[in-house]
Amino acid sequence: MNVIEASGLGRRYGSTWALRDCTVAIPAGHVAALVGPNGAGKTTLLNLAAGLAAPSAGDVTVLGGRPAGSPMALDGIAFVAQDTPMYKNLSARDMLHLTRNLNRRFDQQYAESRLGELGIPLKRKAGKLSGGQQAQLALTLALARRPRLLVLDEPMAMLDPVARHDFMASVMMAMAADGVSVVLSSHVLAELERVADYLILMSRGRVQLAGEVDDLLASHHLLTGPAAEADRYAERLNVVHARRGEAQAHLLVRTTADDPVPPGWEAHPVGLEELALAYLREPAAAAALPGPDRAWRRALPSETGRQTEVSK
Amino acid sequence: MDIDKGISEEPRRAAGVSPIDFRLDPASGVPTYLQLVHQVEHALRLGYLQPGDQLPKVRDVVAALAINPNTVLKAYKDLEGKGLAAGRPGQGTFIQATLSQVALPELGGLRRSLFGWLADADTAGLDEDGVVALFTSVLRDFYKRRGGQADRGVASGETEGVA
Amino acid sequence: MTALSVPARPEEDASLRPVPWQRMGWVTWRQHRATLAWVAVFLGALAVAMWLAGRQLHSAYVTALAACQPPVHSLACPGATIAFDGTNGFLGNGFLLQAVPVLIGAFAGAPVLARELETGTFRYAWTQAFGRWRWTLAKLVPLAVALAAVAGVFSLVFDWYYQPYFVAANQNLSLTEYTPFFPGLFDLRGIGFAAWTLVAFAIGALAGTLIRRVVPAIAATLVAYTGLAFAAGTWLRPAYMTPVVTNNVNVPGSAWVMSQWWTKGGKFAFSGWPSVRLLNQYCPAGPVGVGPGGKPKAVGLAECLTPHGYTQWTSYQPASRFWPFQWIEGGWLLVLSALLIAVTVWLVRRRAT
Repeated sequence: MNVIEASGLGRRYGSTWALRDCTVAIPAGHVAALVGPNGAGKTTLLNLAAGLAAPSAGDVTVLGGRPAGSPMALDGIAFVAQDTPMYKNLSARDMLHLTRNLNRRFDQQYAESRLGELGIPLKRKAGKLSGGQQAQLALTLALARRPRLLVLDEPMAMLDPVARHDFMASVMMAMAADGVSVVLSSHVLAELERVADYLILMSRGRVQLAGEVDDLLASHHLLTGPAAEADRYAERLNVVHARRGEAQAHLLVRTTADDPVPPGWEAHPVGLEELALAYLREPAAAAALPGPDRAWRRALPSETGRQTEVSK
Repeated sequence: MDIDKGISEEPRRAAGVSPIDFRLDPASGVPTYLQLVHQVEHALRLGYLQPGDQLPKVRDVVAALAINPNTVLKAYKDLEGKGLAAGRPGQGTFIQATLSQVALPELGGLRRSLFGWLADADTAGLDEDGVVALFTSVLRDFYKRRGGQADRGVASGETEGVA
Repeated sequence: MTALSVPARPEEDASLRPVPWQRMGWVTWRQHRATLAWVAVFLGALAVAMWLAGRQLHSAYVTALAACQPPVHSLACPGATIAFDGTNGFLGNGFLLQAVPVLIGAFAGAPVLARELETGTFRYAWTQAFGRWRWTLAKLVPLAVALAAVAGVFSLVFDWYYQPYFVAANQNLSLTEYTPFFPGLFDLRGIGFAAWTLVAFAIGALAGTLIRRVVPAIAATLVAYTGLAFAAGTWLRPAYMTPVVTNNVNVPGSAWVMSQWWTKGGKFAFSGWPSVRLLNQYCPAGPVGVGPGGKPKAVGLAECLTPHGYTQWTSYQPASRFWPFQWIEGGWLLVLSALLIAVTVWLVRRRAT
């Protein structure tokens, strides 16, 4: 099952397209990281998936084909927006009561014990909690709803390192215990490397790269070799990003393990951050990859739903 | 010393408690799941883990390290593939074998030949970092040529492996 | 699994039972109890003030009645009359109190949606399973009903306060008598106050949805309401029923005079006040009596002009039509409020962030 499926999805504000030609299929049971600089369209994509915004082009379905914003979608998705909006003058207990009343499922016991473990007093007004505590409260409310999909928009922007660790640990534990799928966005990749097993790279409103992290890392290599030969090989190889010195050049290429390494060159595996930076520095890089339609249609949703790249 | 015979062995500690705890080195560049696999193998070599011991529950690892549970599952599956561990439904993952140890005399011979090689490298003008670079590159090539079988061949369990 | 008392997974079938409406009862109460509280406090304070002022007014009226009752026309009558006419003059025409319905409606109605949109909490509220349009409806309808009910009960205070101004005998005693259709007073009494508070709330809710900021939405509500109230009083209300036309000069003081004109020999002569030439020709005796509202006393002018063939015509709404007019106005205000709330819900359902 694909927790989020978008086809040609686009959203326009006035004359600006915040998101354009977005075609992705995020499989269930993963932690999908939406990565990109500010203004890349991450929040727009998440808002569309959560049903808070309507598409200007294309469509988006969630939880195995249900329309975004439909009753089933609202029931199965717990969304925590950026800056964790909260009713400032309601106490934590009131927020629990509120969430319980607005949903079909709510695990009051879990929520209260979790807040107790985190040291968040139930009587205190939400506005008086620290940024980290508010984020944890918002997460508690979301997890207590027992959703199928947890969507987090830059959830850790306000958190210090310890709070970030605790936050992520809670999310991962929910995933381990209940099989919740997670889609989260961030503009800091380093903190996602430990947790993400599906990556969507976005830049300027378009998806540059999407796929399972393992597949992406296996299909990219860094070739190091003489600068003089770099141009020659650049035409034959699928080069994402090139860095040259006087004598030595580094080419980050998209290959499979079977592709031969040019003689005299060394091939190194690529880390996630390096890969992401290379693509983000080359906005046209995604266009060089095979089109999404064929790859996407080949991967039927009933299979793993995985795909190795998306572009255009 | 007991010779461990596999999964019929009773656990020597309280149920649900693992003798080891994982740690993560985020800057090492080694994939997370591999770090876990290596830590288990390391613990086996040093004797912290014995056959029959339980590996930490996925939930506990995730809570402590804040990593993706799929990563832990992948590591445990990797260990199962190597024959080092086995999952018991509803209970957890347990060590079922130990790493093969090369007999001491053989180890001695390998040490001596390695010393010789290092002396040759030193004569050729390779410094320590150069040695490491060369060795790493050849190491990778060697195991690649073996077709990835290298990682799988070490499980012994029944025949070898005196602790 | 960790949860013991809750079902683990939602039903798989496409038709999911909606979360029950009554769950929103606590939600609406908890989020808006402050609003309802200040409305209660405000109206409570106003009720006390009106009661104190009303006691003054009523006692002045009783005094004036006693002093001016025929045939005993005591010396105290003129003084008592002036005292009664002048008591609480600032409240007399009701214009000050016109602000009450719109203030309640604007300050209660606009923030319901505007605050959610302004602070971003809609990103929480509209992603819960309850659903955004149901959430909107479940908030607006109970609040609207509550405010209308409270306003309706409160308007009894107005009814009681202004009662001395509507006694039919006042005119003959030269005491202030208002027509029940007086613009400042018509919508404070009967069901008018409740209906206008309701429509102010509905305008506020819609403004909040469109403008998405609390303070501008309140301002827009005040402006829109003022426009509506002015239009209603000036153009709509006179047309609810066809006015009665009579040539009887004794039109009761409680009637709402729409227009007056004079004919001579069946043809239109002039309307309102006669020209100076005509006055000098037929009424050289001096200024004619002027009644309340500054209009020339019908009797006085008629005495001069009627013998010369002039007939005065008056078109007016009799005071007896007060309640029919209240029902008509209350009716269309109710329909308009329902429409505005429906549009608000529709906008919430359709519009995106």
